[in-house]
Amino acid sequence: MDWYIFVYPVILLAIVLVFVMYAIYFERKVIGWIQLRKGPTETGPKGLFQSAADVFKLLIKEDIIPSKADRPLFKLAPILAYVPAFSVLAVIPFTDAPYLKFSNVAVGLMYYLALSSITVMGVLLGGWASNNKYSLLGGMRAGAQMISYEIPLVLSVVGVVMSAGSLNLTEIVETQIAGAWNVFPQFLGFVVFIIAAIAELNRTPFDLPEAESELVAGYHTEYTGFRFAFFMLAEYTYVFAMASLITILFFGGWDAPFGLTFIPPLVWFILKFCCFVFLLFWLRATFPRLRGDQLMEFAWKGLLPLAIINIFVSALLKEVPFLSQYF
Amino acid sequence: MLGLFKGMGITLKNMTKPKVTLGYPHEPIKMPDRFRGIQHFDPEKCIVCNQCARICPTNCISLTGKKHPDPNKRGKIINTYDINFEICILCDLCTEVCPTEAIIMTNRYELATYSREALLKDMKWLHANDQMIRQDNISSKPKRGGK
Amino acid sequence: MLRTEEMVLNLGPQHPSMHGVLRLVVKIDGEIIREIEPVVGYLHRGTEKLAEDLNYTQIIPYTDRLDYLSSMTNNYVVCHATETLMGLEIPEKAEYLRVIVMEMNRVASHLLWLGTFLLDVGALTPFLYCFRDREQILSMFNELCGARLTYNYMRVGGVKWDAPAGWLDKVKNFADYMINEIQNYHELISGNEIFLQRTKGIGVITKEMALSYSLSGANIRCTGIDWDLRKKQPYSVYDRFDFKVPLGKTGDLLDKYHCRMDEMVEAMKIVKQAVEGFPEGGATMGKVPRVLRVPEGEVYVGVESPRGELGCHIVSKGKDKPWRIKFRRPSFYNLQVAKELLVGQNIANLVAILGSIDIVLGEVDG
Repeated sequence: MDWYIFVYPVILLAIVLVFVMYAIYFERKVIGWIQLRKGPTETGPKGLFQSAADVFKLLIKEDIIPSKADRPLFKLAPILAYVPAFSVLAVIPFTDAPYLKFSNVAVGLMYYLALSSITVMGVLLGGWASNNKYSLLGGMRAGAQMISYEIPLVLSVVGVVMSAGSLNLTEIVETQIAGAWNVFPQFLGFVVFIIAAIAELNRTPFDLPEAESELVAGYHTEYTGFRFAFFMLAEYTYVFAMASLITILFFGGWDAPFGLTFIPPLVWFILKFCCFVFLLFWLRATFPRLRGDQLMEFAWKGLLPLAIINIFVSALLKEVPFLSQYF
Repeated sequence: MLGLFKGMGITLKNMTKPKVTLGYPHEPIKMPDRFRGIQHFDPEKCIVCNQCARICPTNCISLTGKKHPDPNKRGKIINTYDINFEICILCDLCTEVCPTEAIIMTNRYELATYSREALLKDMKWLHANDQMIRQDNISSKPKRGGK
Repeated sequence: MLRTEEMVLNLGPQHPSMHGVLRLVVKIDGEIIREIEPVVGYLHRGTEKLAEDLNYTQIIPYTDRLDYLSSMTNNYVVCHATETLMGLEIPEKAEYLRVIVMEMNRVASHLLWLGTFLLDVGALTPFLYCFRDREQILSMFNELCGARLTYNYMRVGGVKWDAPAGWLDKVKNFADYMINEIQNYHELISGNEIFLQRTKGIGVITKEMALSYSLSGANIRCTGIDWDLRKKQPYSVYDRFDFKVPLGKTGDLLDKYHCRMDEMVEAMKIVKQAVEGFPEGGATMGKVPRVLRVPEGEVYVGVESPRGELGCHIVSKGKDKPWRIKFRRPSFYNLQVAKELLVGQNIANLVAILGSIDIVLGEVDG
């Protein structure tokens, strides 16, 4: 047992918190620019402290629990939503440097996908325990959506796993460094994965569980103060985790393209990561929301067959000479 | 799928376009001359004809007159003149009927206060409200034709 | 068999997409609506009753507040009714100004509809673009009559202000800009597959429904029934302009959307024609007696407001105040169809369908 086993997670948590604050700031700015607005400008220079002020406000707010709510579950729900969101970060390798890897688990990808599906329990519980009809509907939608999209999400990465021959995220990156970025040979898998990932993150156009124009605020309608902050934190931590995962699975992690190795690997990682985060914000600013039944139909009739086709095609091409080096 | 990408192209293009946000509390908004803001009242000009109080759709104007102090002159002069900005809808009818332009609109639009009483503006306040007075007043022009 | 229970959900009067203070008592089974009961009246101010105590000029600012998104049309309908009853002659210049502002107001109103409708289906950005363009119209109105929403611009016998210097050029430029800008909206929205999924075949109004519920405006035109009062009962100087009435085919949300988008283009074409044919000289007020005494009688006039047939029925007993005034408020009539449209839909469709009807609660509640 070394001391850094305890210190590094704390540092990571701090980094995640800062990321969440500035992701929210960046999101508001980007969407503001797209909508011909300026975004936050008031708190701090260029509004840089806006999110910090918001978080501070949430922390000092009165904690309100509706009298008819199921108190233990109501309190448990945000924790249940956040803990897996943070735990999945343990297996993410940010670079090949050993001090930026927390645990090099052999089944890293499996661990990530398995743990991340616990969050929906928190969301569902929160929606149910609030004893609010909008929350209930939001929780129900979240449950249905997560179950549907988990399957294409998992199936779409099977191709990646097959080509790497491993579930270890570091090894997946190393295979890509040796061969090609997975986004090219596994393009179909990538498309399925990115759609399913957005759905998993509950972001536009799949933001049904918190559809503002329909359900007020969805599952967290009744949450205030720091409990609400935890739900938001979980949501943005997943953005962090999912952006990292996509970078690792499909964009070669810290691999420098075009031989631009003088830029440090960590910077490459962050660049790729930011592109995906920006894409999320951009989609949010552009698209309307899908309807629940269309969402299900899309998952089961569209994405699922595509993901399966992707597996078959990858398996087939693995046997083709020459092409096999990419699969 | 093409439609989705087209839309994304439009939003991306708009990202670099000039922003339309106004810096309102920091920089005041300049209203056009005809803007109907808080009225300015000039007691000198008022002839206590009571037309403004009568035309007001919400009855927010109340005024009283008194005899002219100079016994040689006929007519009345204004004694009190109050506008209740709780219910005034700034419809411009009072300034329209005023024959002497004693009451005219200004370009001021900020009326928020902390108490209801503060919204009851009296003659003194309205007289002091003499900034940004509307130049293009309809009553200076020939009145509507007819009898 | 799983035991399920229906649940009563109160949507509104405070709800992000109730467009004001409409309340819907909805009985839902899962997300499917089984019963629905709209409750109106939260914004009732009794304009019709108040108007009985006001003289005709004083009524005009009250009509600003009925359908507060198209006050110009409301101004016009009460002036037009009074003028018809009195048999007044309106100067040509005033008529042209009226048409220009009414059509611009139609565009402003449709833009707001477009923005909020897309918010209802979940798209955030078009709302801001619509507001950017609507803002230009409002600031032009501000220059013209000194207010951005409650214009109080028209008077019995004409209009209050002549166009300020350079205003008409601005209007013309805006019309050109707007026709071009609508293409951008089409590119952003009309081709979007998610938007098409959300609107195609949803909330279909049949011709029979449209007629039996006495719908008007885009709600009837989307079914293919050609009913536009500007064409059918021309008022003002509309008969001098060349414009088309866009019609739908199936009566679903997409058709309504296209009807309104095309109406904006047509409205801008009318504005352009009106600016070109704008009379140089002349007064903005006709010959009107100082005190408006309307002869005894009754009159009903209907005009095409952005939401449909806006009517005004005045009964006069020869006084300076109406004995009874009644507005046919199109939103109120159009809202009635909601009950039939919404049963069997889910919550997401409810919001979209309700948004597509385009109600303004100030008008529904009167």
